[in-house]
Amino acid sequence: MGDTTMQAAAPARGGGSQTETQHGTHIDTIENVDIVFRAQRRLSFSYGAVFFAVTLAIPASSVWWKSWYATPIWGGFTANYLFVSLFYYVFLWTMAWTYSKQADKLDETLMHMADAAVASADTIGEEG
Amino acid sequence: MGSLNTIAIVLVVGLILFTIGLSIFSRRFTRTTADFYLAGRKVGSFSNASAISGDYLSAASFLGVAGAVYASGLDGVWYAAGFAGGFMVVVLFIASALRRFGEYTVADFAFGRFGSHRIRLVTVVMVLITSMFYMAPQMYGAGTTWKILVGRGIFGMDPYTSGVVVVAAIMMFYVAVGGMKGTTLNQIFQFWWLNFAIIMLVFFAFGNGFSYPAELEAASESTLVNTKVVTVEQLTADDGAMLANAKSVMTAEEFAAVQAAVDAGDAEAKVPVALSAVNKLHETRDMLFNEPGHRYNGFDQFSMVLALVLGTAGLPHILNRYYTNPSGAAARRSTFWVLVFIGVFYILAPIVGLAGIGMIRDAVAGGTAPATADYVNGMLVKPDAIMPTIAQILGGEWLMGVVSAGAFAAMFSTIGGLLIASASAVGHDVYEKYVNPNASEKQRVFVGKTSVVIFALIAMGIGLGIPASGLDQAYPALIAMMVTWAFAVGAGAFVPMLLTGIWWKGTTERGAISGMIVGGGGSIFIIVLNILAQLGVIGKTGLFGFLGGLTFPTLFTFPLALATIIIVSKMDGQLPKNVDEIWMRIHGTAHERHERELGLDKVGTLFAKH
Repeated sequence: MGDTTMQAAAPARGGGSQTETQHGTHIDTIENVDIVFRAQRRLSFSYGAVFFAVTLAIPASSVWWKSWYATPIWGGFTANYLFVSLFYYVFLWTMAWTYSKQADKLDETLMHMADAAVASADTIGEEG
Repeated sequence: MGSLNTIAIVLVVGLILFTIGLSIFSRRFTRTTADFYLAGRKVGSFSNASAISGDYLSAASFLGVAGAVYASGLDGVWYAAGFAGGFMVVVLFIASALRRFGEYTVADFAFGRFGSHRIRLVTVVMVLITSMFYMAPQMYGAGTTWKILVGRGIFGMDPYTSGVVVVAAIMMFYVAVGGMKGTTLNQIFQFWWLNFAIIMLVFFAFGNGFSYPAELEAASESTLVNTKVVTVEQLTADDGAMLANAKSVMTAEEFAAVQAAVDAGDAEAKVPVALSAVNKLHETRDMLFNEPGHRYNGFDQFSMVLALVLGTAGLPHILNRYYTNPSGAAARRSTFWVLVFIGVFYILAPIVGLAGIGMIRDAVAGGTAPATADYVNGMLVKPDAIMPTIAQILGGEWLMGVVSAGAFAAMFSTIGGLLIASASAVGHDVYEKYVNPNASEKQRVFVGKTSVVIFALIAMGIGLGIPASGLDQAYPALIAMMVTWAFAVGAGAFVPMLLTGIWWKGTTERGAISGMIVGGGGSIFIIVLNILAQLGVIGKTGLFGFLGGLTFPTLFTFPLALATIIIVSKMDGQLPKNVDEIWMRIHGTAHERHERELGLDKVGTLFAKH
């Protein structure tokens, strides 16, 4: 990689192009983006934890929970069969819908916050 | 070839002509490389979701899921659930970040994120390998479906070869002519056609008195029975254990034919048999249709779930589609609609598999079962043939035609996406970046189209090579198996790199490359061992024997690749100089705010001329 890399111990902070990017009048600073990143990470990994917990609980129950895999509850449906063939999709749809909505809301909040921060900095600059 | 197949063939030919017409129509809207590879980045959520669903639902989903349920009960249902669950990983961790990064391909992401040409080329190689793994079952499906549908070859070729050659030629033409816009339009149409086909099948099943809970109860009353074509040598091995099993399951009349083959003494003679299944998960229990354990033991229950759930996020042709969204939020919305669309499909496919058990048995007993399929003990010898077979039983010629066209639609839409992904890997990632960076727009599009032609020819070669290699004899359900291999390679090669690249700033180029090689290479190594074990080249003992016995390598390769990335990155510590800039590109929103202000985040039309 040669000259395109630097030591992790000395993160880039110096040049303006490294710590902020501008598109039109909209600016991202690394501080704001870190806030966005942490909020997105919290949201994505919380949902991810629930998704993997539920998804892996199904094979775990198939191995260790007899009432789950061997007891018919509606005609030939066991709880296992009913969940994998139907309710798992309802679970996925609910997760995807609520996650998308929360992520959109988070995007909105963070976008407004970023624009407000830049506007505030401009005002201070003009006053200064 | 009777009138039944004639109507089916007419419908399939109609589908092909429509597909070609759509590609020619969309040609006038493909001028730039962004048009050719990304449909101008203006595909709306609903259209994109339909196209992604068409891209995703391949022959394995359309023909394989119902067949897997028919043969394996609950363990087969997991194929459907796992295929759908994979999109949660995409929406939660990858979709919007990938779109915000805003490039063309996965290799572009790797280059932009880690800043080296080396990682771009490694990614290109992995993209091509994964795409070819995924292409192989599609081409094999094309040959076998042609065999069932047409039953004869053209231009002196056998039926299988004819199917492979014809499908490769059609794909070569329509993808090269239509590019991503043509492919997208076709995928949208093909997805809704195959969805229509399966809805019609289920509609006809319920109309013929099918009751989900009652049929499931009936199917689960006694031990699951499987059909298989075996040699006399296999039948009589182990003191004739398999022969005794067949005798206990089959009717006296059917078993007499098996016994006659054994008495004839030709060890290589093949004979279809019905055998009672063994429960691999709970060994003391009977293997019932509604219980787990037919295909997978305890280890594989977990490994299979992980392979399917993680593999989706590692399929290059699916990931490329996320760049066609106008924004990160649109990418999430697209994924939600994909989950709804394919979820409906995957809820219906197992119903067809279950319905087939009673309806095919009754049709065989009543002498009304289609003569184009083989049966033993009232069951299909090849479960993958369940869709066209039950269509013929339930709805006659026309429904058979609708379903056959659906099968080809599933293959076309997936092969189209794979050809675009492969072409963009070579045309965009290699030619435009290294061979001729100053190429004109016309030259770039020409190289993209040439790449499509070359990869279609390679796919044709792979399709033709499968029977010659003996793979079709080594694996009874080869289509589903080969798709699983593609998922495993994608899950090992790309998902750890993407997850760490997006969510851990400390990931370095060397770490990512090491992870891709360990994850992708390790998966390929274990798959090759599995193939060699199935072909009898290596034994079942020792380390190679153990690894060769793994049906799904992901439980090993994914965590190993993830650990490799983390350890090597920690040891390496060489972050890109502009890591903050890269971080702002992945997680920042200034670009989207700017586009929104200018109204550029709006969905455009696929028919815009530039």
